[in-house]
Amino acid sequence: MIYSAWIRQLQSLTIVLFTFIISGQTDVPRPRGVSLSKASLYSPTKDFTCFDGTSTIPFSYVNDDYCDCFDGSDEPGTSACLNGVFYCTNAGHRPQNIPSSRVNDGICDCCDGTDEYATPGTCSNVCEELGREARAKAQQLADLHKAGNHLRLELIEKGNKKRSEMAVQLSQLEKDKAEAELIKSEKEALKNELEAKENEALQVYRDAEEKERQRNAEIERQQREKEAREHFDKYDVNSDGTLTIDEIQKALIFDRNKDGEVDQEDILHFFGDKDSVNLEYFISTTWPMLKPLFMTNQGLFQPAVNEEEAEEPEVDEEEEAARDTEDVGGDDDDNIDEIPHDHTDDHDIEPDQSGKYDEETQKLIDEATEARRQLTDAERTVREIESNMRTFQQNLEKDYGPQQEYATLDGQCLEYEDKEYIYKLCLFQKVTQKSKNGGMEVGLGEWGEWAGEEGKKYSVMKYTNGLACWNGPHRMSTVNLNCGLESKLTSVTEPFRCEYKIEFTTPAACDDSNLAQQETSHDEL
Amino acid sequence: MKALSLLLIAALGVSGAFAVDRNNFKTCEQSGFCKRLRAFKPEKSQYTLNVDSVFVHGNVFSAEVVTVDLEKKNILWRYALRLSALADGTFRVEMDEADPLYPRYRTQIALEDEPKGDGLKLISQENGKLTLANTQGHKVIITTEPLKIEFVDHTGEVAVVLNENSQLVVEPLRVKTEKIGEDDEQGNAVEEPEGTWGENFKGHHDSKSRGNEGVSLDVAFPGANHVYGIPEHTDNFYLKTTTSGEPYRLYNLDVFEYELDSPMAIYGAVPVLYSHSAKRSSGVFWHNSAETWVDIVNYSEGNVVSSLVNFVTGGQKQRVDARFISESGIVDIFVLLGEKPADVFRQYTTLTGVAPIPPKFSLAYHQSRWNYNDEADVRAVDDGFDQHDIPADTLWLDIEYTDKKKYFTWDVERFRHPTEMVANLTAKGRKLVVIIDPHIKREAGYFVHEDCTEKGYYVKNKDGNDYEGWCWPGSSSYPDFFNPEVTKYYVERYRYENFPGTSKDVHIWNDMNEPSVFNGPEITMPKDCRHWKPPQDGQDGLAAYWEHRHVHNEYGQWYIRATQQGMLARSDGKYRPFILTRSTFAGTQRYAAVWTGDNAAEWGFLQASVPMCISLATAGISFCGSDVGGFFKNPDAELMTRWYQAGAYQAFFRAHSHIETKRREPWLFDATTLARIRDAVRRRYALLDFWYTLFYEHMIDGLPVTRPLFQEFPKEEATFTIDNQYLLGDKLLIRPVLEQGVTSVKLYLPAKETSTLWYDVDSYQVVTANGWINLDVTITKIPVYQRGGTVVPRKERVRRASALMANDPYTLVVALDANNTARGTVYIDDGETYEYRSNKYIYGSFDYQPTAFTYKFINEDANYPTRSWVERIVIAGIKNAPKSAKLVQGGKQTPLQMTLHRGNDVLVVRKPAASMASPWEIQFTY
Repeated sequence: MIYSAWIRQLQSLTIVLFTFIISGQTDVPRPRGVSLSKASLYSPTKDFTCFDGTSTIPFSYVNDDYCDCFDGSDEPGTSACLNGVFYCTNAGHRPQNIPSSRVNDGICDCCDGTDEYATPGTCSNVCEELGREARAKAQQLADLHKAGNHLRLELIEKGNKKRSEMAVQLSQLEKDKAEAELIKSEKEALKNELEAKENEALQVYRDAEEKERQRNAEIERQQREKEAREHFDKYDVNSDGTLTIDEIQKALIFDRNKDGEVDQEDILHFFGDKDSVNLEYFISTTWPMLKPLFMTNQGLFQPAVNEEEAEEPEVDEEEEAARDTEDVGGDDDDNIDEIPHDHTDDHDIEPDQSGKYDEETQKLIDEATEARRQLTDAERTVREIESNMRTFQQNLEKDYGPQQEYATLDGQCLEYEDKEYIYKLCLFQKVTQKSKNGGMEVGLGEWGEWAGEEGKKYSVMKYTNGLACWNGPHRMSTVNLNCGLESKLTSVTEPFRCEYKIEFTTPAACDDSNLAQQETSHDEL
Repeated sequence: MKALSLLLIAALGVSGAFAVDRNNFKTCEQSGFCKRLRAFKPEKSQYTLNVDSVFVHGNVFSAEVVTVDLEKKNILWRYALRLSALADGTFRVEMDEADPLYPRYRTQIALEDEPKGDGLKLISQENGKLTLANTQGHKVIITTEPLKIEFVDHTGEVAVVLNENSQLVVEPLRVKTEKIGEDDEQGNAVEEPEGTWGENFKGHHDSKSRGNEGVSLDVAFPGANHVYGIPEHTDNFYLKTTTSGEPYRLYNLDVFEYELDSPMAIYGAVPVLYSHSAKRSSGVFWHNSAETWVDIVNYSEGNVVSSLVNFVTGGQKQRVDARFISESGIVDIFVLLGEKPADVFRQYTTLTGVAPIPPKFSLAYHQSRWNYNDEADVRAVDDGFDQHDIPADTLWLDIEYTDKKKYFTWDVERFRHPTEMVANLTAKGRKLVVIIDPHIKREAGYFVHEDCTEKGYYVKNKDGNDYEGWCWPGSSSYPDFFNPEVTKYYVERYRYENFPGTSKDVHIWNDMNEPSVFNGPEITMPKDCRHWKPPQDGQDGLAAYWEHRHVHNEYGQWYIRATQQGMLARSDGKYRPFILTRSTFAGTQRYAAVWTGDNAAEWGFLQASVPMCISLATAGISFCGSDVGGFFKNPDAELMTRWYQAGAYQAFFRAHSHIETKRREPWLFDATTLARIRDAVRRRYALLDFWYTLFYEHMIDGLPVTRPLFQEFPKEEATFTIDNQYLLGDKLLIRPVLEQGVTSVKLYLPAKETSTLWYDVDSYQVVTANGWINLDVTITKIPVYQRGGTVVPRKERVRRASALMANDPYTLVVALDANNTARGTVYIDDGETYEYRSNKYIYGSFDYQPTAFTYKFINEDANYPTRSWVERIVIAGIKNAPKSAKLVQGGKQTPLQMTLHRGNDVLVVRKPAASMASPWEIQFTY
């Protein structure tokens, strides 16, 4: 505050001078810059008390171009008080309150020019003209609203219809779902029955397979033992059936740290901390440890590198990023995880091993496979119905305006092009931006909420949580709704970084009852 | 180990999120000449004055100086020394080679004019000492062997000594020899240090075809407590000993995310250094535009080795030594003998000029952002100030208004109607400032580029072809303003018809003029680029051009000089231009205002803005400010509030922000913060005529507008290191709140000895000076005190823009001293033209005595038909109130009403209604 506290206490006594101006438009005399409603507070026959009550001054101090009241109330018609208010009648147009710092500053702020009384001729009275223009504009707007209101009423009707249809469809879906679930359980029972038969038939084959497996394992074991024995014999130079540290040290191939010799420690490790090993221990313990080293030395074996493991997190990140960018606004996200899992994969039977089984077994297998397929189909049908139901439920829960006028617009997409970008608003879904030079679509927000000021909630939509800006917030869009005969976007701007502003006209926003209210509130002439 | 290093990287990543990349910039060790000359510390100087050559003519003493091999006693090289006595307690010492291989560069546009001479007499010559005297009672004692020059003040004490530490060096220019280690004419082995004929830094090669040509000189200030100056750095105002770290560096650079409390070079370089003690102030101005490093040793600092103290000063603890090291040029130093701080500051502006009074709007509030996107955005911001009743004088457009960074063009999509846009602003008394940078986009069809290419106007690279660097537009070249033809061409570009959409109300912001070159060494132009030099017979090859290394710190000033000429030419010299520059050099005050560059929304940068601007103010450049709110990052409401409050009391008051920050026009903050910002901006407007008067007075007396406390209170030691408070003129003391979340601040009220009274400007409560006090503050409090004995003119009817306040009445705040007297001044003119030069102005004085308050014209030949009047006189500190008062003006007498407020001894004279267009007197009776 510029004015210091002492003004509060300012009080003096002098002669009272009457400085009155008569307002041209009315018979009620009042000081300059005072509105009719406040005229009674300025009585020339009494001392003037500041509106805040802090001070009483002679009436001659009112509008004497010196600020006496802390609240500026003594100078309604001059620029003396920093916090004062000047009222212009603006006959023919709307009256106006302007800060008193705009009085006599050389700029015409009031259309009647009364704010520049110090330099007559600076401002001409243009209120009639402006008023006419404003009234014509208001009329145009009213006409537009009126015309648009017909369309709006249609939209309301369609919206309500759409909603009730959705409700009907939803209850139909509920029925469908019950039916589908019934089918599913039938199919499941059938599948279980056929699978039991199939299992029984296949048991014969499984037993045979098990025997084959055991035989192969035995052959392999024998091969390993043979190989170990060969190596044992090779290193057991004195052929005494015992392999000593000396003997093994000569075999440089087991040099674990590649320093040119096989050190004691290594060998103790291979020998289980003993000086020597016999054939039996060599085969069972030492050789299995030595073999990889042996193979490495021979160049036959590469140690496993966990490359895949190391790269995995990156892959994940990319995937996540891709998901972030591409799947914005996908209502079906929840379903993605449920779709895979075909039940066939818990079975180790390969279905096209035809020829392996006798005719009867094969027939059982085919029947079971068909039953499984049918169950899968039945399950899918249930899931699809459920998904549809969720969509309907969500849409039914959405706020489509006080009279459902926006319901039919859900999902409708509108585009706007400027020099660089194509913007797309899909109502109640999302906003996106795509560069004309290519590149991926950038999400500027997903449907959030109605966000108009109090009393005008349905004049603004907010789409939030778009793609995050580099080093900044998530993109978001504000959509301002205006009355228009067709639904279209009239401008898209980015007034704040990553915050987009979209102007959207639609008949759904034409409400002539609203307009009439606004009009009346302006009439204080 | 890997995990650890990852952890380290992560930790660095967090703490280093905002920090300069030091690797981009040289340390002294990486700068060939700095490393070489800094290490040069001989026990005895090789430089000797040849007594037989001494010659005094007029105000100039000249003599031959030779370097002598201390062992073989043979002469190594010959130099010409000139010592001139100048007006106002100043001497100049120049030393060049006697016969240089090529001319060495002499800085061209730092000095305003050829300095005025004083008388000079050789008064004695004995024992190898020459004594000279000027006509002002100063003496110069020259010791011939080794050469030492002492400057003696009025009292007979030595104030400044040159070459006492034997660090005088002028590296002779030499012919490049093929073999290293070849002998010179005298048969001495010529040692050529590595890097003589070429240096590398971060992949950039500097060809150095003239070899080494460095200069160095040490300067001692016996008895000094501190030294100040050599802006621009982010360190304290008082300079610190540099011996254990880097010297202060002067090399104009575009330092991205510059760091605080650092001697690193940033955008500006003003090589003037002041010393001060209670006894005396003195200073030196190192007249050199090449890269310069300055070492400081302050012997009173605890960490200076005591043996060194004893060795150099003979036990004297109060002394400061400085040393200048420059890459090229000659030794050219002005010695300013003070003896008060105000004297040295004036002596400096006597040499380099003063700031002409700026157009009044430029002292008001500026609103900027990178960028206001389009005409609608400009309109919305303009309207926003009116809707929220905040005054503002300008809106600014950063680089995005141009057609793809082609200066002197508009982006026709976003700024299709610049003339109308400007008209919308000027209709409310507002102005537009647009950016114009020196780099020119290399694009076929761009007229400036085509003209410059065709006519050879660009700076050339080392091979003589147009130099190409990278800046905002991509590939760019840089006009060579050293060529008068280029300047002339550029001047034409500013004509209204050549830059459509501009008018007298469109002013210019020159940024990136260090020059900034994104892909250049240290983000600037390579030192071996070639600049124009007047053609001269016999000067060819290396002598036919200047290298960028010679002129670097001066380049930006040649640029703003061209802009100023252009803006004058476009209105046929009628209107005062406003220019903002980022790069600065000695003399910049003659052309432009300066801001502290790309700071950040951090408390540290708010704090740094105060010493940075005081330092610039003492170096002639009072018109200084920082980006309010911080350029990078987003300020919170508290920081924003405090920055507006501080900015309201700094000369250049502009909010600005980076393109990636959140929008932050005042109304985007909460209503309470908005109200606080409005209050801060209104305070500025109320004092605008006071600011304007101070800038007028600066033009007359050359003194800083924003002053360090010790300028006014030179004997108070406590003030020597105070750089978070300062004075506006000699009247207001400002202590901005620069600290987060504080409820009280420490504040120093000087002049306890004379029981000076200080009045809180909010309450008129008086405090008698008693040194340090603790003052309680709230978020709305800005500690500002009016000195007892002063009168400050205010205009309390704050309008949308300053132009609308021209006819408004004054409130005169009279703060009484202990003798119940006060004085002040006011300057009034049309605010935008040069008519004041034809005596169309009022420079009025206010003199309050208990019997009468008098308003007189200081220059009675000058007048201006102002419609302003006096609406209120507030007399603070009145003990004995008069019973009645009357106004006497133009033979008319009018009785006046008064109100006495006993709570704070304030007498208010109600509506004297005295016209400011003629003298008046208010007489009091008791």
